[in-house]
Amino acid sequence: MTELLLLSLFTGWILAQEKNISLLFEEPFLITSAGQSADVQLASILAKRAGIASVLSKLATPEELENAKTLVLVLGASLKGLGAAGLDMEKEKRRVNSIIEEAQKKNIPILCLHLGGEARRGQLSDELASVCLARAKMAIVVKGGNKDGFFTRKCREYNIPLVEVEKTVDALMPLMQKQISG
Amino acid sequence: MLKNKKVRPLRAISLLLLVAFFLAFFSSCQYKEVKIRKPPSNRHQSFNFLARKGMVVAAHPLAAQAGLEMLKEGGNAVDAAITASFALNVCEPFASGIGGGGFMVIYLASEKRITIINFREKAPSKTFAEILKEKEETKNFGLAVAVPGALAGWSYALRKYGTRNLADVMEGAIEMAEKGFTVSQTLSLINKDEFEKLILNAGEKTCYLNQGLPYEPGDLFENPELASTFRLICSKGIDEFYQDEIAKKIVKAVKDKGGVMTLEDLAAYEPIEQTPLEGSYKDYRVFTVPPPGSGGIHLIQLLNIIENWPIKKWGHNSTPYIHHFCEALRFIFSDREHYLGDPDFVDIPIARIISKEYAAEVASKIKPDRLLDDYPFGEFEEKAQKKESTTHLCVIDQEGNIVSQTQSINDFFGSGIVPEGTGILLNNHMDDFSSAPCSPNAPRPLQRPVSSMGPLIIFKKEEPFLVLGSPGGTRIFSSLTQIIINIIEFGMSLDEAIEAPRFFSFSEQGKAGSISLESRFPAQTLETLKRIGHEVTIKEAFDKYFGGAQGIMIIPRKKLILGGADSRRDGYGAGY
Repeated sequence: MTELLLLSLFTGWILAQEKNISLLFEEPFLITSAGQSADVQLASILAKRAGIASVLSKLATPEELENAKTLVLVLGASLKGLGAAGLDMEKEKRRVNSIIEEAQKKNIPILCLHLGGEARRGQLSDELASVCLARAKMAIVVKGGNKDGFFTRKCREYNIPLVEVEKTVDALMPLMQKQISG
Repeated sequence: MLKNKKVRPLRAISLLLLVAFFLAFFSSCQYKEVKIRKPPSNRHQSFNFLARKGMVVAAHPLAAQAGLEMLKEGGNAVDAAITASFALNVCEPFASGIGGGGFMVIYLASEKRITIINFREKAPSKTFAEILKEKEETKNFGLAVAVPGALAGWSYALRKYGTRNLADVMEGAIEMAEKGFTVSQTLSLINKDEFEKLILNAGEKTCYLNQGLPYEPGDLFENPELASTFRLICSKGIDEFYQDEIAKKIVKAVKDKGGVMTLEDLAAYEPIEQTPLEGSYKDYRVFTVPPPGSGGIHLIQLLNIIENWPIKKWGHNSTPYIHHFCEALRFIFSDREHYLGDPDFVDIPIARIISKEYAAEVASKIKPDRLLDDYPFGEFEEKAQKKESTTHLCVIDQEGNIVSQTQSINDFFGSGIVPEGTGILLNNHMDDFSSAPCSPNAPRPLQRPVSSMGPLIIFKKEEPFLVLGSPGGTRIFSSLTQIIINIIEFGMSLDEAIEAPRFFSFSEQGKAGSISLESRFPAQTLETLKRIGHEVTIKEAFDKYFGGAQGIMIIPRKKLILGGADSRRDGYGAGY
């Protein structure tokens, strides 16, 4: 009897955590890049598959937060992506900072995703990631990108939860509505 | 009596010495088995693959191994190169394949002759002047597809210079495509980079995505449709690709994406055999591809200019070396834009461009302590620089035949268009044409676009010494020149030369472009370059922007073959 009670409490606690995550990050999401890597497109596909209402805007400006309830920053710098967007790192940092500030003014929570694994790390990516994580509510990263513990250290420093997933396809699983109990 | 007693020991000693001499002589003639060493786990650490009889170096271990197996089975260098090419189509699909084109440099040892097989793609017959502009405006990616030449080129080389048939050289690739192979980090990252293009042009169900998402390292990549295509070609010949069912699927796929290729374009495609371009650097002779390959002509030009300077005295990757090298590049890019095109359509003053006199003129203009205000001739389009794609392989067989081969589908994963049921990625090499209407490289029907490729073979004292090539778009000839100088002037081993930090520059509208450098250059070097007036852009420590070179070095006096494979991509050597 005691065991059953404990199990029920534990299950309820787990479900409550997931519900807490879903409450923390309401829809619709505005998904944008922090670094212009191609992973932002991937995040959009994952959101669709997870049934999460979202808008993708690779070069999102503060004005685009008008109808959003959550700001998703997909971390990862790509010189190719920056070039294609007509940006350099300084311009991208300014854009990202401006949208983060606007999100904070409007009390819109920020979720950071790092989907590119080990290959999507490097000095440029890490610098921008630090800026984003400092003001985020949570980070979800593919494990391969955290082999050196960079995200673990940063999340601990900024006191935000870190969720690690094995594969990119699992990145938004914690946010899928069907996992949440009413 | 006494005399006899003295003579016997002397005779015995003499006899022993004679025996010892013969033993030493014969043992030196025997090949000592080369110990097969495994490359270090840190791929950036310099490592030369060793062999005695034959070697294949390619951009993927599976392709290198496939080529080596062919050599061991008695195939020659051409057989092995084509075997590796089909294998690369499977295991490095983003960088080359039967949907693309390229160039092959072949050294025939028995004839002491070099020949070039040019299987560069051609513009479709309905190409029009505004085709690139229309492609940008409409996003009809079919307009970027040029008529593929790889299969025709490989088949030609095999028939004329190989000893095996298509079925022999395709067998391993068919099995690999059916059974699959493990995805590397390189493939995964590039797959992620090109995800948007693949979703748009190949669709979510394409095998070039893993259930509609990019492949992760460690995933299994299978391409059963490509295997079926290969089987069809084996049984029916290359006409199946250029005239029959596959041709129809290619044309349909291109037209569905707004392109203009016709069945007649495919049926009419033929590779061409050319005489190599020849240059020299000090005691070394360089043989490489002529235009429309621009890598060769500009590499010779750059070596000619550098020959005027005390490079060794300046030191490897010193500020004066980088400064002078980059200024030379800026002049060369002006020439490239002004002169280079398909020699079947435009006249190119090749002899003038690769002359020592012209090089000395250019070298004399360059100032040691500042940038020049102006770089005469043409323009270099910024857009054209972004490509890092293409692949290179080198082979030497035990007869001494050599193949140096660079091939491509242009951007990684080409156009992203995959004709239904074929598993073939089609190129986007029409993007290699210039959008400037007066350019010698403007798009015209049936013209071959200028290529940056420049596979080469270098001779030292009439014997083959170095086989080299690289992907890397417009950085190809600059990177290859740096590797050659690293070996000849700075005494590096082959792989040391390949792994050494690289840089690149260009000119645009007569003005100096920035210098791009890998992040391993010392801060002081960067500061000095900036003080001279250069703008500096830092890339990753081992950035594939600068290519992924593969090389073979032959050391005849040691009967040794060295293989060097670039850690910037998945390069690997396999020898025996």
